[in-house]
Amino acid sequence: MEEKNNKIDIILLLVFTALLLGVNIYLFAGKILPVNAIGIGIVIAAILTLSLYSFLYKDNPFFKIAENLFVGAGMGISVVIIWFNYLKPELYKPLIRYAVRDNIPGEPNFWLIIPMLLGLFMFARFLKKTMWLSRWSFAFIIGGGAGISIPVVIHSFILKQIEPSLQPVFVDGSFTLQSINIILLLSGTISVLIYFFFSTPHTGIVGNISRLGIWFLMVAFGASFGYTVMGRMSLLIQRIQFLLTDWLKINIQ
Amino acid sequence: MSSSRCIFIFLVILLIVFGLSRLGGTISFAQSNSQLLPLQGFTAFDTPNDVGDSVGLIWKVSENDREGVHYIVSTAPSQEGGGDGQWTKLDPILSTTCYKSDFPQYFGIDESNKLWHFYEVSVTTTTYFKLAITDGVNIVEFPSVVSATPKGNWFDTSKVNILVCVIFFSGLIMFFIRAARHNPNLFIRHIPGLDAIEETIGRATEMGKPILYLNGLHGMDSLSTIASISILSKVASKVANYDSQIKVPCYDPIVMSVCQEVIKEAYIAAGRPDAFKSDNIFFITNDQFAYAAAVEGMMMRDKPAANLYMGYYYAEALLLSETGAATGAMQIAGTDSITQLPFFITTCDYTLMGEELYASSAYLSREPLQLGSLKGQDVSKALIILILFIGSVLTTFGVTFLTNLFRTF
Amino acid sequence: MIELLLNIDRRIIFALVFLAVIIPLWVKIDLPFKPTATVLGVYDRIESLPENSVVLLSSDYDPQSRAELFPMHLAVLRHCFRKNLKVISMTHWIYGVGIAEEALKVASNEYNKKNGEDYVFLGWKPGFAILIIGMGQDLYDAFPTDHYGKNTREIPMLKNVSSLRDINYLVDLAAGNTIEPWIAYGRDIYGFEMGAGCTAIIAPDMYPFLQTKQITGLLGGMKGAADYEILLKQGTLAQEAMRPLTAVHILIVVLVLLCNILYFITRKKDGRKKQ
Repeated sequence: MEEKNNKIDIILLLVFTALLLGVNIYLFAGKILPVNAIGIGIVIAAILTLSLYSFLYKDNPFFKIAENLFVGAGMGISVVIIWFNYLKPELYKPLIRYAVRDNIPGEPNFWLIIPMLLGLFMFARFLKKTMWLSRWSFAFIIGGGAGISIPVVIHSFILKQIEPSLQPVFVDGSFTLQSINIILLLSGTISVLIYFFFSTPHTGIVGNISRLGIWFLMVAFGASFGYTVMGRMSLLIQRIQFLLTDWLKINIQ
Repeated sequence: MSSSRCIFIFLVILLIVFGLSRLGGTISFAQSNSQLLPLQGFTAFDTPNDVGDSVGLIWKVSENDREGVHYIVSTAPSQEGGGDGQWTKLDPILSTTCYKSDFPQYFGIDESNKLWHFYEVSVTTTTYFKLAITDGVNIVEFPSVVSATPKGNWFDTSKVNILVCVIFFSGLIMFFIRAARHNPNLFIRHIPGLDAIEETIGRATEMGKPILYLNGLHGMDSLSTIASISILSKVASKVANYDSQIKVPCYDPIVMSVCQEVIKEAYIAAGRPDAFKSDNIFFITNDQFAYAAAVEGMMMRDKPAANLYMGYYYAEALLLSETGAATGAMQIAGTDSITQLPFFITTCDYTLMGEELYASSAYLSREPLQLGSLKGQDVSKALIILILFIGSVLTTFGVTFLTNLFRTF
Repeated sequence: MIELLLNIDRRIIFALVFLAVIIPLWVKIDLPFKPTATVLGVYDRIESLPENSVVLLSSDYDPQSRAELFPMHLAVLRHCFRKNLKVISMTHWIYGVGIAEEALKVASNEYNKKNGEDYVFLGWKPGFAILIIGMGQDLYDAFPTDHYGKNTREIPMLKNVSSLRDINYLVDLAAGNTIEPWIAYGRDIYGFEMGAGCTAIIAPDMYPFLQTKQITGLLGGMKGAADYEILLKQGTLAQEAMRPLTAVHILIVVLVLLCNILYFITRKKDGRKKQ
């Protein structure tokens, strides 16, 4: 049975390859796609898209090639952008350039030596003897990061969130739809907080409130699930639009 | 005499005419400016709570303020004006705008702030200011020139409530960490998902099949991974006791080394170091979908009795747990990745949601740092619940002091 | 029958989803779409800005999220250029550089806007929160040059924009967690107003910030982008996707309902068997 399945898989793989080749030759030969960088780019993008979608059937060599290409190309782009957008203007030009070239106008910015060293210490982790140096960099990152983020988190994500939760239930002295919203918001926040309260057993009234909290959580997860479906389907639709209009030049408007 | 009388009468008439003309002038001035009263209380000062790049101007709200009436602020580097004695006029300020009450970060929350105008001018050196009011026809100036020098402030008083919160919450957590060091048996409520872990290990032992344990996609710097390792340590000791088998495919090489050590220790503690197989804890790749594909392959081939997903996950969560469900394995997940929770809830038998993951880790490890943090957070949560409840009741009855305490700028 | 449905090959569901996407792409049905209030929050704010106001557009996404975010990126840029606003574009995501450049190119060509005068592209830089704080203190120091190597102090459009305090509005288009840093380290410290657009997956997490008015509005996923195109009466990238998206949603809802019905039937049957 497994052997038969393997044979089917091989046949499908060959058919898939032949189809890809045939369609692209037709597109180029029939001048539907131009034989230039744009045309070749579209064909590569289409082949990679289909190769990645082939995983829906089964893991296969096309999927693996496309995946590795994706990772490799991503790394390549990162290296180029990090150099041209960051290291060159921020470190090479104001500091290192003065050490490796003559007759450069202006003065080097020696302050940059400190962050440069901290950055280099991160690589010290690769050697057992120098591993301790990387701790300085980590200490700087963690200390600085915590110092900057703790007050900001309390400000923006705790106090700023508490403030609008303290709303009068009666809007202009009367009970309106807005009042229901406020009550829902308040009971949702309190019950979910009680659900995530670990110092009391969830029995009696606390148990009942925490059960209400679970309901609120499930509604939130449902909303999240719905949004995720929309997100994933949007990606699929855009890819199919690309395959039909940009690659196959089929008019769907 | 008559001539002197004539001169006298002439002088009297002259005086009367002069007086009348002055009076008339005053009357005409008063008439044309009848709706522009003199300006009051114009003062300049260094803007509080800033880095020293501005000064503030205040003056009293008056009956002049209405649509079409503007205040004009002029600046100069000296009392006599600029180099050529000129004053630079800033953009006109509509008289019905710019109140002290619009800037609670500088002046706090006070009803009397509505009675003052406030205008902030960006300057870095001592600057002199003049203030005038105009309705488009007439202008009334404040009689004197005021000045101020901007200074940087070390302390931002508008953020005192944040400082209090940081100190209070940190203190609370530190206090409970200390308490947990003295008494590691601090109460933590029972978490249902944890019972299921024992059940899964028993099931795996009965079936003679392995348990697959995943640590998520984060490194050792992530709280969820640390919690996951704590849970792994307890799972591994039970596995060692039951003579079952555990497989841990890793996404991160450092996490892999830690897992190997943790499981090895568990086997040694169980008195069965010979049963430990380091090959069962292995690194796959740190590419998200390649990792997912490899683990899915393992699930399909090995058909583990149970899959445990603890840690932080991204889009691969559903791929993994769906495949696991298809193989019929019992599945338990624990993650603080909110976006992936719905998928774990729908595909797993038990799910530890968000903080439950940390709580489980503290519950199992009884490690003072985790236990104390959890307790400290619990008390913080209780306080927040109390504030929300009391604050809402008070606000409903028009008492806003509690809301103002938590107001941030 | 029930057993058959419960053990259906997942590839059949994939095929159904594929059909639900492809058929509505051809079959034109006019669906009544009404822009949501959260989208209006961004649109109205940009609409209310006077000419020459400065809008910072942070496009923090990569090609993987292009489907959802590029249409809203283009729509917001078109809106800014139509209103003669000055645009500063940047990205926190290294792979977002190419897309941000492409969007600027398309929109600026449509409205005949010039680089350096009407818009500026600062490019990418690492740091997230630190970069935002740096921009708040001194924009020229945080970005000494723009993406093309031009000194930012010499760019005419940035003459009066020395820090984040000088911008009038910020829109963050995010595929990850960049909206929160922009709020916490940018908006809440430097006092500018901001709106956001994001992928559907992270949209639910952003609603608390709408409630606190830390963001004026939110464009959530493809629907948010389509709403913006409708308001703008320009662009069809997202609107075209609404028909297949609606069809797929209907399919998913039907499948969820069906699965639940089957679940309750099997549970009832199991219950009877046990009795």
